[in-house]
This record gives sequence, C-alpha cells and structure tokens, in this order.
Amino acid sequence: MVSFIVSGRISEKYSWAVTFVAPLFLLVSALSAGYVFYTIWGDQPYVVQWSWFTIGDTNLSAGIYLNNISALMVLIVTLISFLVHVYSTGYMAGDEGITRYFSMLGFFTFAMLGIVLADSLLLVFVFWEMVGFASYMLIGHWKDKPEAAAAASKAFLFNRIGDAGFLIGLMLIWTNTGTFDLAELAKVQDIYSWQTTASLCLFCGVMGKSAQFPLLTWLPDAMEGPTPVSALIHAATMVAAGVFLLARVDFLFTPTALDVIAIVGIITACMAALSALVQSDIKKILAYSTISQLGLMITAIGAGSSAAAMLHLFTHAFFKAGLFLCAGIVIHVLHQAQQQAHTHFNVQDIRNLGGLRKKLPFTFVAFILSGSALAGLPFFSGFLSKDAILTAIAGWKGSDFSWRWIVFIAAFIVSFITVIYTFRMIWTVFMGEEKSTASLPVVEPPLVMRGPVALLAIASVWLIVSVNPFHYHGWIFNVLHSGKHFDLGIISFISVLWITLAVATSYFIFRKKTISSELLLNNFYLDKLYTSAIGKPSLRLASMVSFVDRKCIDGFIHVSAYAQVTTAHFIGWFDRAIVDGTVNGIASLSRVAGNMTRSFQGGKIQLYILWAILAIIIFLIWTLF
Amino acid sequence: MHHYLISLLIFTPLLVAVVGLFIPAKAEKYFRYSTLGVNLFQLAVLVMMLMRYVTEAGVQFVEKKSWITLSLGSWGMLKAEYFVGVDGLGMPMVALSVFVLLIATISSWTIDKNVKGYFLLLLILNAAIIGSFTALDFLLFYLFFEFMLLPMFFLIAIWGGARREYASIKFFLYTLLGSIFILIAMIALYISVHDPSSSGQLVHSFNLLNMTDPTNFISNSVLDPNNPWKIGPLDARLWAFLLLFFGFAIKLPMVPVHTWLPDAHVEAPTPVSVILAALLLKIGGYGLVRIAFPIFPEAAMHFSMFIGVMGVISIIYGGLNAMASKDLKRLIAYSSVSHMGFVLLGLASITPEGVAGSIYQMFSHGLVSALLFLIAGVLYDRTHDRTIGNYSGLSIKMKSYTAIVLVGFFASMGLPGFSGFIAEIMIFLGAFKSNSVNGLLHESLAIIATLGLILGAAYYLWTLQRMFFGPYDLKGNIAHSSIYDLNNREYLMLIPLAIAALFFGIFPQPLINFIDPFARNFSEFVLSTGKSLTLNP
Repeated sequence: MVSFIVSGRISEKYSWAVTFVAPLFLLVSALSAGYVFYTIWGDQPYVVQWSWFTIGDTNLSAGIYLNNISALMVLIVTLISFLVHVYSTGYMAGDEGITRYFSMLGFFTFAMLGIVLADSLLLVFVFWEMVGFASYMLIGHWKDKPEAAAAASKAFLFNRIGDAGFLIGLMLIWTNTGTFDLAELAKVQDIYSWQTTASLCLFCGVMGKSAQFPLLTWLPDAMEGPTPVSALIHAATMVAAGVFLLARVDFLFTPTALDVIAIVGIITACMAALSALVQSDIKKILAYSTISQLGLMITAIGAGSSAAAMLHLFTHAFFKAGLFLCAGIVIHVLHQAQQQAHTHFNVQDIRNLGGLRKKLPFTFVAFILSGSALAGLPFFSGFLSKDAILTAIAGWKGSDFSWRWIVFIAAFIVSFITVIYTFRMIWTVFMGEEKSTASLPVVEPPLVMRGPVALLAIASVWLIVSVNPFHYHGWIFNVLHSGKHFDLGIISFISVLWITLAVATSYFIFRKKTISSELLLNNFYLDKLYTSAIGKPSLRLASMVSFVDRKCIDGFIHVSAYAQVTTAHFIGWFDRAIVDGTVNGIASLSRVAGNMTRSFQGGKIQLYILWAILAIIIFLIWTLF
Repeated sequence: MHHYLISLLIFTPLLVAVVGLFIPAKAEKYFRYSTLGVNLFQLAVLVMMLMRYVTEAGVQFVEKKSWITLSLGSWGMLKAEYFVGVDGLGMPMVALSVFVLLIATISSWTIDKNVKGYFLLLLILNAAIIGSFTALDFLLFYLFFEFMLLPMFFLIAIWGGARREYASIKFFLYTLLGSIFILIAMIALYISVHDPSSSGQLVHSFNLLNMTDPTNFISNSVLDPNNPWKIGPLDARLWAFLLLFFGFAIKLPMVPVHTWLPDAHVEAPTPVSVILAALLLKIGGYGLVRIAFPIFPEAAMHFSMFIGVMGVISIIYGGLNAMASKDLKRLIAYSSVSHMGFVLLGLASITPEGVAGSIYQMFSHGLVSALLFLIAGVLYDRTHDRTIGNYSGLSIKMKSYTAIVLVGFFASMGLPGFSGFIAEIMIFLGAFKSNSVNGLLHESLAIIATLGLILGAAYYLWTLQRMFFGPYDLKGNIAHSSIYDLNNREYLMLIPLAIAALFFGIFPQPLINFIDPFARNFSEFVLSTGKSLTLNP
C-alpha cells in the first residue's frame, strides 16, 4: 500500500497531460497516505525490506520503515504537495516549461517521501541528495533569469557542503556499527564517544537542508523560484527534511551533541527573526520567518523534545504553505494586472503594496488566519505548537541559572519578533491606502488557487492540534511523545500575555514606522563573508593550482624536454665534431700520408734520384754522428 | 566454442584491420561499416560471455597456449605464454571496453579525413585494449599495453586539434616513461620467478598468477621475498613496486604525473578522447589491481598511506584545476583526474569496500566520462569553440542537449541514482574504515576527500550556470546558425551511456556480483600475504 505512493510518483514523471494528471496522482497518493496514517498511527512500526546491494560482507537493503513520525510526515508531505499541485495548475498556467515543472514537482515529492520512508541512513542520504537535485531544478526553473540560476546553484552547493558532513557521519556510523539500518541502530544503547561526532556530522547535513546557521543564506535566495515551489520547500519538503531526520535518529544523539544543536537552533532563530524584520520583499520575509521557525524546532530537538518539534513542523507546514500561497496570489494577480495595464513595478516589494484588503478580500482573510498562526496568537495552531516548544525548553533549562536560560529567554524574544514582522506584513500589504496598485484592475484568482489556500487557512486553527485551545496535548503530541511528561500551565498563560503585548506593540509602534538596518537587511553580511572568505579564496586557489599545473609541472616537463633536446644537440655536435672529427681526422691524416707516400711512387726518375740521395745523406749523417 | 571467446574478441578487429589494408581507401563506407560490424560482433560475444560467467569461480574463459619457449642454457628456460582469461576484475572492464568502443565508432561517423587510416588504427586500438584487459601473462600484457600507444599517438597527431603535435608527443613520452618503469620491473620479476609446474629444469615465466605466490620466487634472486636485494635505502621489492606503481600511475593519471591528460584530451578528436578517458585510464588502475598490488602485497601495504595521500591530492588538485579551466574539455579532463584519485584512495585502503568501490568507480567513470566527452564533442562539432565563457543560455536553443548535459554533470558529481554515487560511497566507507580494520589509512584522508565532492558540485554547477542558463548569448566568432539541437546519431550515442549510468546507480547489484567476490578475495589475499611477508624479513 505504501509502494503504491512511490510508484504513483514515478509514473507521474512520464505523464504528458500533466496539468490534469499530476494533481490527480497526488490526490491518490494523499488519500493512500491518509489510509496509511490511519492504520499506522499509534501502532507498531511497519517494516518492509528488499536487498539493494552488498558492500563487503554486509547486505544493504532498501526498504520502508514506517513509524508514527514518518506516518505523520507522509501525511503532511502528500497533503501539502497535493494542494501545491492544484494551486500550480493555476499559477503556472501558460508557462512553457510546465511539463518539466510538474515532473520535477512530482520528483521532489517522491524524493521527500523517500527520506521519510527510508529504512536505512544510506537510503535517507540517497533521497536527501535527490531532494537537493529537485530543488536545484525547481529553484532554477526560470532558467533565463541569471539570478534564478545563481540561486539554484547556491542552494545545491550549500546543501552539498552539509551533505559532506552527513557523509562523514555515515562513514563513522559504518565503521563503528557496520550497519545503516535504522531499526538496528536504534538498538545501540550505550553512549560511545564516536556518537557525539557522528551525530554532529549528521547535523551538518541538517544545517544544509534546514538552512541553519551558518548555512542559512541559500534559503532567502531560493525565493527566485516559482512561489508554489517556495511553499513546498518551506512547508513540506526540503527544509522539513532536516528536522524530520533529527527526530528520526534522535536515539543517536548524545547530550553534548544536543546542546550544540540547541545553541545552533536558537542562534539561527534569532538571526533570521531579526532579518525578517527589515526585509521589504514579501517572499524574503516569509523565507526568513521559516528559517527562524526551523531554528525553534531545532532548539526543541536540542532540548530533547522531538515531539514538540514535530508538532511545530506539522502546524508550520499548513500555515506557512498558506502564507506562501497567499503571497503567490498577490504576486500572480498583480502580475496579470500589470500585463493588462502595461505598467511595471516590483510586486514583491511590500513598500509598493497596501490596502489590498479591498481588492483581494479572500486572500486577506486567508493571510490573516495563516499569519495569526505564524504569530502564535491564541486559538491558532501555531500557538499550541510554539507552546509545546517553549514548555520543552522551560523543562530542559532546569531551575538553576545557566546558559540554557539564555536560550529560553531568546526563544521568547523570537516569538515576540515573529508577531511584529507578521503584522508588519499584514499592515503594509493589506491595510492602509493603496499605493502602486491603485490603478490596477486586480481580481481574485481562479478557484484552483483559492481552494488550496482556503483549506490551508482553515487548517491554521487550534482544532487540528487539540480540542482545548490552550493545551497542546492533543492527538498528535500524545502519540509522538514518549517518556515523562513535563507540564507547565504557566507557560501557556505567560505566552498569551506575551503575545498580546507583542500584538499591541506591533499595532501601536510598528504600524507606521519601519525599522531599517543594513546589517539585518543583508542578514549579518553572511553572504559577503562567504564570498570573501571562502568563495574568492577558493577561486584564487583554483587559478593558483592551474598556474602550478601549467608552469611548474608542465614547466618542469618542458625544461627536462629542452634539456634532453639540448643534450641531444650537444651529443649530435660531439658526434659530428669530436667522434666524426677524430674519424675524419684520422682519415684525412691517412690521406695526407697516403698522398705523400703515393708521391714517392710517382714514376718520376728525378724524384727517385732525389729521394735516394737524401736517404744516403741522412744515412751518412746518422752513421757518422 | 566458448573456449575461444576471448580470442575472438581480441583477434576479430585485428583480422578485419589486416583485410582492410587491401581495400582501397576510396571505399570509405566499407571501413565505417566493417568497424561497426566488428563492434557489434564483439557485443554478441560479450553477451555470450556474460551468460556463461560464474560469479564465484575466479578466472574463467582461460586460454593457455605456449608462445615463446627459449632455452638459455645454464640460465634455464624462457617461457612466455598466450595466457588470457577474465575474472571479477577483467570481466567488467572487458564489458565496458566493448560498450564504449561501440559508442566511439558511432561517434566517429563524422570523421572524413583519411577514413581508411583512422578506422584501421581504431581497430588495432580495439584489439590492444581488450588484449590488455584479458592478458594473464606479463609479457603478453606488456605487448598489448605498448601496442595501444602507437595507434593512440597517430590518432591524436593526425586527427587532432591545433596543438596536436605537441599533445601527441607529450602523451607519447609520458606513457613511454611509464612503460620503461614497467619494463624494468617486468625484467626483474622475470629473473626472479620460476614456473612451479616444471620439475627439474629452471623455467622463468611471465605468468602473472605465478608471480603472486611468494613461494615461486627463486631464493636469493633480486626480488626474493625472503631475502631481497637492497638497492640504496630500500629493498629491491619496494623499488619494483614503486616502478610498477609510477608506471601505472602515469596512465591513471595521478597528480603530479597527469599533465599529459588535459593536453591530449583537448587536442584529440572526440571519439579518441572518449576511448582515452573511458578505457586507457582504466588500464592504469587495472594494472595496479592486477599486477602491482598482488605481486608485491607487503610493498603495497608499506606504501598504502602514500598512495592514499596521492589519491586525495589528485582529487582536490584535479577539482581545483577543473574549477579554473576555461575550456569545457579541459574541465572534463581535470574532473577525470579528480575521479581517478578516488580509485587510488579506495585501492590504498585494501578493504573489500574500498577495492570494490575502486573497480566500480573505474567502470562508472568509463561510462560517465565517455558521456561527458561526447557532450563536449557535440558542441565542438557545431561551433569549433569550447570556451566556456563564450556561451550563455544554451538551454533555450538546445533543450535536449541541456537535459543530457544535466544528466552527465550530475552523474559525474556523484548524485545518488547514478553509478558514481555507489562507487564513491563504497570508497569513502572503505577508506574511512581502513584505520580500524587494518590500520593502513588515516580517517582524515576520507574526510578531506569529501571536499572533492563539494568542488565537483562547484565547478559543474558554475559551468551550467555560465553556459546553459541565463539569457541566450554567444561571444567570439560563433555563428548563431551553428546552434541546433541533437540529431539522431547523437541521441544514439548519448542515450545508452546515460541509461547505463542511471541503471548502475539504481541497480548496482548486477555489477557488484562480478566485483564483490574478487574484491573480497583480493583484499584478503593482499593483507594476509603482505603480513606474512613483513613478518619474515
């Protein structure tokens, strides 16, 4: 029943009537995912394995390992993906690369499901990289835009850097246990020293995929892709994969590793939240908010509560997808209106927008609902899941003051900032007076685009988590959470006050004013730092190495070749001048001698007489003296 | 019949080449089709071999005929045999050769300069390559090995690009130097080894399998493992290993003896580049596995750290050079250097994973590098310009071509789903594990080698971004009319390679069935023999 989902995805890649067939396939898979979820939820893990290949003596299998976490993820992934598919049929209508788009979208979902269902870490890594490839294709979908191509390359490269860490983690695990099988690995009980290193290496992969500090800068750039893709990346696939992986292999993590994870998570959450405050591009604000929320989830995992992280992942998937799709609607309808009116301005820049509540009432309401969930207002799902995270951190920090208190306080600050930037978006885009859009004939988009948004917005209320709007122990958390419960009713109470304060602040202070900070706008100049500290030096190193290749190694070869040729010339000269010279010299000597002696026998009587007389004289002199 | 399958593979192209000598050069069609016919015939023979191959049975399809027997009086007898056969190492290499040579012939269809000479040389090269992958007698191997040089030299020097003379002479001298190293080691081995099967008289033989058994060495000979001569600071056996190692490392090629490769590749015509990258480089790796490691196992263990470090240097150095390349073909050539570094790293680990990974990598690189050079050739055929900076936004005009390029580049990057990934993961696992299993390599080597993966992604993505994405534009003297998408012949040569790379990435087991028994026996043999030899100095 599960392989059906997978095969549905693959066959979808080859369909041509994609706009119709692709969402249909996704619907089928979402339904079967719902069935799978229904049968698996709260039950024993379900495992199927096939032999894939052997390495050395070990047989590596490929198979499915389905437990509560993965069942939940399967549901999220297929559902969001289905909605995004439906939405895309409207958003991407008329795009010339639509076949490629849908096949990559399907492939993306397939790869993500692979991560979720894989039974071994190696297989997770395989799909992990495939997700990277799919995101590369989708972010770079509009190929002729140089920024899109650059953003796609950057996304893949940053993921690759994380994956290199993942790979090292795999090597450590293989060397120490000889298996990649998740069920086998879960049996490893003792805490070995290698586990800290191995789990941190795996976390490197997570940093890449879930855009954690310091590998976070690719995600805002990835906004160059089509908006539904952003929704998918941010809600269900790609970035969620990192959090999911941590939750899946949480048995591997040692306390030291978890501390590191918590710190990285909270740093990311703070940095991204601050950056989100000052961005002017609506998609970038959402991107930074995703990074910040992911940071919170990672912190929760570091605090030892993967159940809280998964809960937030679950709620976040719905309201963030909803927000992105709303933003997509704004961008889409304004683009169309622009084409009709032959004007041009940047529709993603919120400074150009305003007062859209009148022309886009539906989108306005949906945005408010999803945005409230993001901000964590009471009666919304985000409130409950954030509450779970804060409670987890509160329990983890202990009663004595330590650095963990800073993490705790920082988490509260992040949730405060979240409210401010969310409402900043709402104030500037939908409230106030219309700005550049005043003269445009803006109309609400077709039903295929509104439907998914409506569903997602409805899914942002508290009911999908638990019946009690102030208590997160609903049907999800109780199943995922094992071990002792840590409960603090006071946290919910403080949260309510805190959020109210934040909303008030945002209404009274930030409704009109905007903060601007170059530092935050550029996300702490991380990109510049990478370019100057890593990018440029490696290019310089590359050209240096190429210089070495051409001048030193080839130079040496050339010099030795010249030396040989010169030696050859010298030997040639030696051969001609000395050896041949000697031979020729001897030859000419003998010729001279021959000539001379020949001349003795020239047949001239006078000469004979002369020689004879000379001989007699010599003889006489010799005998006489 | 099936006793002569290997001879059929080797001698059919030679026979056709000899017949071809008497066909007038005007019959260009004859040469093309007869070469293609030979390739298809070889493919049929290959299929027969694969069907009869027994994976666990070691050396198979053995043919052994006495070839040279010469009495040397008190020196004993000189014996060289026509001794061929394949095992888990030879079989994948032969399969790869037959497949790639067929593709190379298809891509040679556009050659129109001196067709007769070209295809005859291609046939000779064909025989020599398959001969080297199957020979189990050192003299026979050496003969085929040298025999490859000549057609290669002429193929580059006559049908090559602008600097073809320089490149071909460089190629020739480099490889000749390697051949001389191998020759010296071969003579030393020949003096030291006797044939155990001949009782009474001392018979010197070139049998490679005999050479791997330390008891076959004549006591007090140059390379006697129990009492080797000392030459300078090292044992003669270590010297002999180094000679073989460098001889094959030049072919592989390993940094810093690799500079013949980029030049030869850039200047060679496309099919010759394909053969060079896909097959000739593999003979370097093949020689290490077949000859250097098993004959001198203790030396291999002694130098394994050195070999591993050289492998890692090749990976990083090749990757950096690729990043700095401005010429597409040069970039691919340097990526070959980088990928063959993985072969060295895997071999140096002497673990089943590492060795199997190395052989898998040779096979996979054979497919992928052939694909990449064909890709470069497609563009060069159209525009006669390979400068990366002169193109932009090609994906708009050449959709299918871009799709194939994506496949090729990502396959070469080692994306999961392509054959390179399986090879690299096995090499990484083997190299990393080595320290805890046999203590030969340090873990840091594998960790540093992961940088090669990042570099690979960097230079390929950057190339994609510069050449294929962005707005469509051409610089230099490229005519816009010369940019058009793939034709049927090009599909015919590109698609099978892409499918093969994909197939062996998703279903590695069929190939691993061949490699794995060999790799396990090999690493066990090298380790146990190597240890026993170092214990008795």
